[in-house]
Amino acid sequence: MLRRFRIILLAAILPFAAPISAYPEQPEMEAVPDRSPVARTLLLGFGWSNQLDTYLSPMGYTGIQASILLQSERMTRLAHRHISFQSTFHGVFTSTGNSAETAKYWGGRLAYDAGWHYHYSPLPRLDLKGGVMIGADLGFLYNNRNNNNPAQGRFSADLSLSAGADYSFFVPLRRNRQLPMQVHYQADMPAVGLMFCPEFGESYYEISQNGVGHNIICAYPGNAFSLRQLLTLDFCLRRITLRIGYLCDIRQSNSRSLKYRDTSHSIMLGFVRHFQLMKRSSSARMGQMQEYKNLKI
Amino acid sequence: MVFRTVIKKIAESRPFARKGWRGVLLCSCILSLFSCQQADYSYDETPQGNLDALWTLIDERYCFLSYKEEQLGFKWSELHAKYSAKLNPKMSRVQLFEVLCQMLSELKDGHVNISTSLDLGRNWSWKEDYPENLDTELRQRYLGTDYHIGSGLKYTILPDNIAYVVYESFSDAIGEGNLSDMLSYLQLCNGMIFDIRGNGGGELTNAERLSRRFTNSKVLVGYMCHKTGKGHDDFSEPKAEYIEPSNSIRWQKPVVLLVNRSCYSAANTFVRNMKEMPNVIVLGDVTGGGSGLPFSSELPIGWSIRFSASPMFDARMQHIEFGIEPDVPSALNAGLAADGKDSMIEDARNILNTQY
Repeated sequence: MLRRFRIILLAAILPFAAPISAYPEQPEMEAVPDRSPVARTLLLGFGWSNQLDTYLSPMGYTGIQASILLQSERMTRLAHRHISFQSTFHGVFTSTGNSAETAKYWGGRLAYDAGWHYHYSPLPRLDLKGGVMIGADLGFLYNNRNNNNPAQGRFSADLSLSAGADYSFFVPLRRNRQLPMQVHYQADMPAVGLMFCPEFGESYYEISQNGVGHNIICAYPGNAFSLRQLLTLDFCLRRITLRIGYLCDIRQSNSRSLKYRDTSHSIMLGFVRHFQLMKRSSSARMGQMQEYKNLKI
Repeated sequence: MVFRTVIKKIAESRPFARKGWRGVLLCSCILSLFSCQQADYSYDETPQGNLDALWTLIDERYCFLSYKEEQLGFKWSELHAKYSAKLNPKMSRVQLFEVLCQMLSELKDGHVNISTSLDLGRNWSWKEDYPENLDTELRQRYLGTDYHIGSGLKYTILPDNIAYVVYESFSDAIGEGNLSDMLSYLQLCNGMIFDIRGNGGGELTNAERLSRRFTNSKVLVGYMCHKTGKGHDDFSEPKAEYIEPSNSIRWQKPVVLLVNRSCYSAANTFVRNMKEMPNVIVLGDVTGGGSGLPFSSELPIGWSIRFSASPMFDARMQHIEFGIEPDVPSALNAGLAADGKDSMIEDARNILNTQY
């Protein structure tokens, strides 16, 4: 009974199998690395934040901060593969309070930066890099007690200068084994851009009546000195590359007699995934083209 | 162990690498030092520190300082020494609160408050020093019991076919639908009495939305500006404020607007707007004023401060901070009140029945 069922099943699938076998055997695809390693990083951070926004209050607020940092970096073919492309997404949530503990700020910020770095290696294990980044920053700060001016919006778009260094080394372990490690440092500083800043005593009512166009002003280090520094250490644990680091993010402006500051210090923890983009070799591509032509004939 | 090895490895690396890392660390430290934005106040939480903070806040941000100095005859610069003399380091929070409230009372501004868990510091002389000219029981008699309620609006039709509308607070939201339904219901009336006595203000957008129902053309109602710097006279260019006619139902008949000293802030602005409208007569007492849009801030001790930050003016660029004169002065007559009649409503009915 079972044997008869198998025969019927084979007979049923035979017509579908036949056309497949009519095609020539597929050659084994040859793949080569395109020498563009990609590193994708996910870091979660927790730290301390110090905020000041004189549109809301002349007092500084301190508290906690949670953040997420997604970073992707890959080498491009530009300048004989000396230039890398980096994209960074940074999301931050803060909860801070005044020293008298009578009011709180809740804040959020999303920032995206994309940039290019030129790499220079004076030593085999040391890689220095410098370049520019373009980015945008959108956020808010809400005071739970202010009735008339409870929140402040943040927006900026800027061109940043960026510099960093990577240093690779091995830490000897027992039984003659070695643990590969890498230290990264990168600093990004906005050089020129645009930012939203209301006038000193401008109310929400006036902003809603007059629009926000006149509140977009030029930002440069003289009126908006900001700096983000990230120092990390990569190490392998089994097959995972873990990254631990310290992020110092300073965002501030002093314009139209209004001061704004958001300084945070965070411990970051996450992992790095290294990719190697693969592409078919030219000989494999040529072989496949020839087979395609033969089929058409 | 690992950290020690990392440090050792860096130390053992070639001089160029060591110098490179030193340079990077040095640069980052220098940049971090430059990036410390100081707070606006460096005052402490002592009584003197809080008084200094409050005095500076008003000095830099209060929008009527020059005008009040001229009208009320004080010098803000002299008040610092005057009230500092009343402080001592061991005084209680209650005592400090009283001294700070006294200093702010010099401004005679209902928008200036200290909000604490102890009390709300205020100066309500703009209404407390004058007759109220409002009897809510009498008003309720005119409304009766079968009046309509459209969000914050209460309205009915009086026996002589006069519409009577009461709006008690501009904090009570009114939608376009509420206004259209109300005006549709009252459309056959000969005139309207709009009673905002006791209305202490609220949302400015409600005042604007309501005003748009009483004009058929764009009307200049006033000007507005804000502080652009810390100087007493650092103001932006006054910007004209217009009321555009509503696209929905608009009132075309005469209106008498009833006001008293308690009409403050957004209610004061509504009176300003309505004075520029055709067919509107303002009847009652001088309004309470309060023409500065308020801002919130705080003191080192954690108390919340509110103050006027953006002055509003009338269509002739005159201050309305101390109130607006009515077109027809009127007060509540105690004798008529004893007979169950509101003399101000009766005056308004006479105007509507005789003059129109």
